Amino acid sequence: MRRFRGNLQAGAGLVGLLAIAAGAAPYLASDIAWVSRGPGGVRFPILGSADLRRVAGAEEQPVLRAPIPYGPDLTDLDAILTAPSGRHWLGTDGLGRDVASRVLHGGRVSLTVGLAATAVALLLGLPLGAVAGYAGGAVDAAVSRLVEAVLCIPVLLLALALLTASPPALRGLPDTLLLASVIGLASWAPVARYLRGEFLRLRQSEMALLARASGAGPLRVIVRHLLPSALPPVIVAAAFGVAAAILLEAALSFLGLGVRPPTPSWGGMLTEARHHVDRAWWLALFPGAALFLAVLGCNMLGEGLRDLLDPRQRRR
Amino acid sequence: MARALLLRSASSALTLLLVTLIVFLLLHLLPGDPFSEDELVGPRRLTRAQVAEIRALYHLDEPVHRQYLLWLQDLLRGDLGASFQDRRTVASKIAERLPVTVTLNALALALMVGLSVPLGTLAAWRPGSGLDRAAGAGTYALYALPVFWAALLLQIVFSARLGWLPLLGLASDRAAELGALERLADRAAHLVLPTVCLAYPGLAYLSRFVRSSLLEGTSGEFERAGRARGLTALGVLVRHGFRLASVPLLTLAGFLLRHLVAGSVLVEWTFAIPGLGLLFVEAVLARDVPVVMGLTLVSSVATLAGTFLADVLYAAADPRVRHA
Repeated sequence: MRRFRGNLQAGAGLVGLLAIAAGAAPYLASDIAWVSRGPGGVRFPILGSADLRRVAGAEEQPVLRAPIPYGPDLTDLDAILTAPSGRHWLGTDGLGRDVASRVLHGGRVSLTVGLAATAVALLLGLPLGAVAGYAGGAVDAAVSRLVEAVLCIPVLLLALALLTASPPALRGLPDTLLLASVIGLASWAPVARYLRGEFLRLRQSEMALLARASGAGPLRVIVRHLLPSALPPVIVAAAFGVAAAILLEAALSFLGLGVRPPTPSWGGMLTEARHHVDRAWWLALFPGAALFLAVLGCNMLGEGLRDLLDPRQRRR
Repeated sequence: MARALLLRSASSALTLLLVTLIVFLLLHLLPGDPFSEDELVGPRRLTRAQVAEIRALYHLDEPVHRQYLLWLQDLLRGDLGASFQDRRTVASKIAERLPVTVTLNALALALMVGLSVPLGTLAAWRPGSGLDRAAGAGTYALYALPVFWAALLLQIVFSARLGWLPLLGLASDRAAELGALERLADRAAHLVLPTVCLAYPGLAYLSRFVRSSLLEGTSGEFERAGRARGLTALGVLVRHGFRLASVPLLTLAGFLLRHLVAGSVLVEWTFAIPGLGLLFVEAVLARDVPVVMGLTLVSSVATLAGTFLADVLYAAADPRVRHA
């Protein structure tokens, strides 16, 4: 399989780069100066606490600004819908906010939700699948039925229905956690189904037999002996899961049901872009490109990991 | 075969029942009950008696398990309940929007097959060639392309910049004044971008399917058997390759059903096309529980039916599956 040999490197590089950019967004894209000079000498406002930074920023002369010297929510009514230029690399939106800054900060939401949602899906799917596969019998039948039923409900619709219902346990959570829970709750079923299959196979293995013979209880056999050998494909599935979760978060935000404005999110920015299709192409191009690269990166990482960890599934 | 079919049907029916239970429970954990007294007595100036009447109308005064049974009973009669917004039946709302979504999906399917069969064939003709790799990488990238972003970019290029195609909706404002033929052209122009957006994500999946079935049919024992009978490489491709490739193509009938509503949500929302997908989003935004519930159920049933249909067709088309 030569075609995708570079997948692992390319995927890991892309995802790593995006993660670093998103992680460093508060420093890379901020209206607070990196270095400033004032009555008290040279200071580093960006490293201070939020209140201090603003007070200090007013009377001090900035010496070194952030590469993108605009915060994500900083509006500039003199620069509404300006095209990409030296001042605003990726242009500005309908409120004069810097698109580059918002794309960077939006990445934080996307990546956080993507990772947290996948964690939720694994947290639900792993134990259910493992127990069903290992126990067999009635437990397996019940779990398998449930998984089958949930798999029938399209993920997007399930997530939207969950958001409509917003069960009591989820209310009051911050947007990112709410979205992560909803997306996780909508996408645990494939994980459970996969793990059930693995455990069905593994429980017959000599590994399990030996562990049981040496007196290990079911929990110990599952967690200590069998889970490690089922893990590599789960890691692969998790990479694809993150891609799907990022895409779903963006879709929900695009429909106006995800992260609420003014918090920047890629999906939300694309919704704003809809209002300006006829005059501001940059509003649609850049957040979408970031989303595309993130999804592509995670998918490539998944493919690469699959080739690396799970040679059985290698495609022709 | 008949026995297997019967078993399969029984298991599907059980799954279906579970789906109804999940969907029901999901939406009955309702906190934002739009008919609670808090919502209606104060803000909407209704009397308590009126609220009680409305609650009785939607069976909201019964305990939850009774509500489920009543809902299930109605369901068996094809009654999906009435919309919270305008009291019209959910079934009639769905029936009204269905033709648009089905038309759109049928067009998308035609486009998908029309592109992926030649693409897959070209790729399989010389596996590993530049053409094969380009087709693989291209469809792979398309697969990761978020549909609402692609839709927006297409709108910007073809509607806003070039002005070739309409931006939104199904018909122009002046459609009523047009003649029959012009109206058809107008409708077709409105459908181009949505169709493309619905079709491209499946392209990777489908052309890869076509490619690998063709490869299987033109190598190994199939190839040897074909060559032994004096077939040329092209002959092997036609006689064995396409026969094998037709199997996954048949499962497309199932594919269409599976993605009917869910696949249409984002596309219909972006292009403001009044189909089932848009109906679903509108219902979610308005917290119209019966409509959300009804549509989720309908599309889950469609998924189930699609999978079932695909399995049956698969078995009918591929003797190896049939006799397994």
